[in-house]
Amino acid sequence: MEFFMGSVLPYGAFSVFLGGVLFRVSGWLRTPVPFQLTLFSVPRNRIGKICLIFSEVLLCRTLFRQDKLLWVWVWLFHLSLFMVIFGHLFGIFYLRDQFCLVGFRPEQSQVLSVFLGGIWGTLMALSLLALLYRRIFNLEVRRLSSPDSYFDLLLLLAITLTGIFMYAPGFHPELHDVRAYMAGLLLFDPIPLPRSPIFVAHFLLVSLLLLYFPFSRLVHLAGFLVIRLMLVEAPPEYPIPGHKRPRSIFTISKFQPEIPLFSKNSVKREGRSV
Amino acid sequence: MKIPLRLAKNKDLPSIGINHVAETNLCSQTLQLLDEYRAFTRSLSVMLENCTGCGACAKACHSYLGTGDFFNIPAARAGLLRRIFVRYFTWSGRIFGGFAGAGEIERGILDRWVEYFYQCNACRRCAVFCPFGIDTGEVVLAGRNILSRLGIVPSFMADIARNELTSGNNTGILEPAILDSCSFLEEELLEETGLQIKIPVDKPHTRILYLPSSSELFVNSDTLMAAAKVFHYLGLDWTLSSMLLEAANYGLLFDREVMKKHNGRIRAAASAVGAKKVLMGECGHGWRAARMYTEGANGPFPFQLQHILELVAECLPELRLTKLPIRATLHDPCNYGRGAGLVDGPRKIMRACVADLVEMTPNRDRNFCCGGGGGLLMDEMKQIRMQLGEKKAEQIRSLLPLDYIAVPCASCKAQFPLLIKHYGMGEVRTGGVIDLVGKSLDMRGSAVFAGREPNLT
Ligand code: HEM
Ligand code: HEM
Ligand code: SF4
Ligand code: SF4
Repeated sequence: MEFFMGSVLPYGAFSVFLGGVLFRVSGWLRTPVPFQLTLFSVPRNRIGKICLIFSEVLLCRTLFRQDKLLWVWVWLFHLSLFMVIFGHLFGIFYLRDQFCLVGFRPEQSQVLSVFLGGIWGTLMALSLLALLYRRIFNLEVRRLSSPDSYFDLLLLLAITLTGIFMYAPGFHPELHDVRAYMAGLLLFDPIPLPRSPIFVAHFLLVSLLLLYFPFSRLVHLAGFLVIRLMLVEAPPEYPIPGHKRPRSIFTISKFQPEIPLFSKNSVKREGRSV
Repeated sequence: MKIPLRLAKNKDLPSIGINHVAETNLCSQTLQLLDEYRAFTRSLSVMLENCTGCGACAKACHSYLGTGDFFNIPAARAGLLRRIFVRYFTWSGRIFGGFAGAGEIERGILDRWVEYFYQCNACRRCAVFCPFGIDTGEVVLAGRNILSRLGIVPSFMADIARNELTSGNNTGILEPAILDSCSFLEEELLEETGLQIKIPVDKPHTRILYLPSSSELFVNSDTLMAAAKVFHYLGLDWTLSSMLLEAANYGLLFDREVMKKHNGRIRAAASAVGAKKVLMGECGHGWRAARMYTEGANGPFPFQLQHILELVAECLPELRLTKLPIRATLHDPCNYGRGAGLVDGPRKIMRACVADLVEMTPNRDRNFCCGGGGGLLMDEMKQIRMQLGEKKAEQIRSLLPLDYIAVPCASCKAQFPLLIKHYGMGEVRTGGVIDLVGKSLDMRGSAVFAGREPNLT
């Protein structure tokens, strides 16, 4: 069991995550877009399009325009998620001494790391709670939800809470051990999980998230880009030359319009009136 | 909410290329069609699979705002199709079933599709406000396509499609009637201006083929007459075509095969008169179908394609216009604003034609649909259309007093008079943008008159 949780599950989960997301995205991208779905108004030049997409990714611009309150929570959640993941990478690798890189003394870095980790972790928990609250108490949104909508939020909340819990005195795992364990995983030479129940719980939940991710709507991480790219495609320019590649089989599929013959009547009328 | 939509009879379907599906096969056939459609276009699967159900689109949809019916929330509307899609075509639905929001296919769901897919104007406003850009209009069109192939088609759509396929226009008028109408309009023009202004039909070796909405021959004849005046003024070499006297393409709204066939006529009709340029008249979805779908449906297209409003906006400096002393506003048809990006042209023209142009809020690509789009113009749907147009009516009321609402789209032209009457603003007149140009144009400035060689086209 230990071996399974510590040495098999992480690899399995990560492979499912990566393979699943890639499979889904490539499935979308393999399907043709038979017609331009340009949603006007779109910027004409490439720079404008890139700016538009970035403002969507970094600021959730559209949501801001439509629903300011929801935007606060959604944006805060994604920002704190990003911060926490970044914090994990540096904090665990440098054992909280990461801020020494920018000129702090080690003691300061330790305090700063704990402080920032705590803040972002708390913000993440708060924003998840707010989203959950909205999902339950906003009638429209509740009816739009299916059980897995709650599950997404609850799973993330559970990960966050176990993460924060590790800050409690007595529950704190040795970061040394965590780092050694992660290093083992990365070098394909896994060692047993550190002996800290909370950490193990956190770790298992993260594995569950990775396993579940490609099947859930959390793939919006990639899907939103696929959609945006369709919506900012340049509209067709006329005349369309004969050598242009057809957009899909639908374009090629043959049909001959049954055109009524050019009528003599109307020509005659023209002849009269010219 | 039940809708009073009348469906086409089975015997009427083969004439538009659709086969009736036996009641017992409906469900299995639905799945097969869904499978085909998801291989046909990327949009269906991406847009169904990524919605997080955040509800941001609810306030964007005039259909929900006007009816208050939960299933008219874009995400819920798409949800009717998503349930089935998720159940049969995604891992999560197959594995987790109801937990992932999946539902088994059953006959009843098809009725729900009809109800709610035909309360959507395919206006795409939800796509503008969804954080992911999910276009429920696309999903709805997919759903309608599938319903059509199951033999479930509103009789209104079927009749129009049959007219389009057999006569090349929505009204189903044939050549003798077309010639008659044009002669009649020419006489009207002669009376009005004292000039011999031609409305040529099938004139060979012409540079420009003009495709108006066929309603312009009868109901909205002001628009066609105004266009003829402008063309005459500019000395353009233009003609109508009796094999395609229609900007609209109803196939876009319910069946892609019909769309493709009718769209194919543009090329044929343009070749027949030897045109270099195809000029589209005031029709919202028609302009979208022509501009955005021609390439995808029928490939190479050796003609220029332009909208009459773009052409007139370009030629404004050439036109001698006197501003009409009226207070007017402009309604941006959804298919111009969001569907095909035509918002500046009409404004330029309006500014040149009327003394006081006021803007609706919101406008341009965020404008609300009037409730007449998406092919919902059938009589039996009038009551529902009035509900769908509630938001538009509010927008207009806040601008009163108004003399004129310019609606450069044939569907809007059918919806607006009913709408403003329903909401007690019957005194405001509605009509096209080109109509205004026709009224404010001083024909004495005409290039033909001055003996100048027109340098346009
Ligand atoms: C393999 C992956 C992960 C490992 C080994 C891991 C490990 C840890 C450890 C050791 C802590 C305690 C930090 C400390 O005491 O300094 C922690 C905290 C935390 N973890 Fe993770 N974690 C992982 C993935 C995740 C993921 C994917 C999320 C979010 C979705 C997450 C959210 C949190 C949060 C919110 C905290 C508390 C705040 C913070 O320290 O930033 N963790 N994690
Ligand atoms: C660059 C990538 C991403 C973008 C642009 C993005 C964008 C968005 C947007 C605009 C929303 C608002 C819609 C809503 O409220 O439901 C949202 C919601 C959400 N996103 Fe993301 N997201 C990204 C990545 C992620 C990732 C990696 C995760 C999870 C690990 C995630 C989890 C969520 C959750 C849980 C919600 C809330 C759903 C709810 O309201 O129940 N997102 N995201
Ligand atoms: S705004 Fe977009 S993601 Fe949110 S519920 Fe509507 S369609 Fe779904
Ligand atoms: S396309 Fe328009 S009518 Fe249809 S769901 Fe979206 S906003 Fe509503």
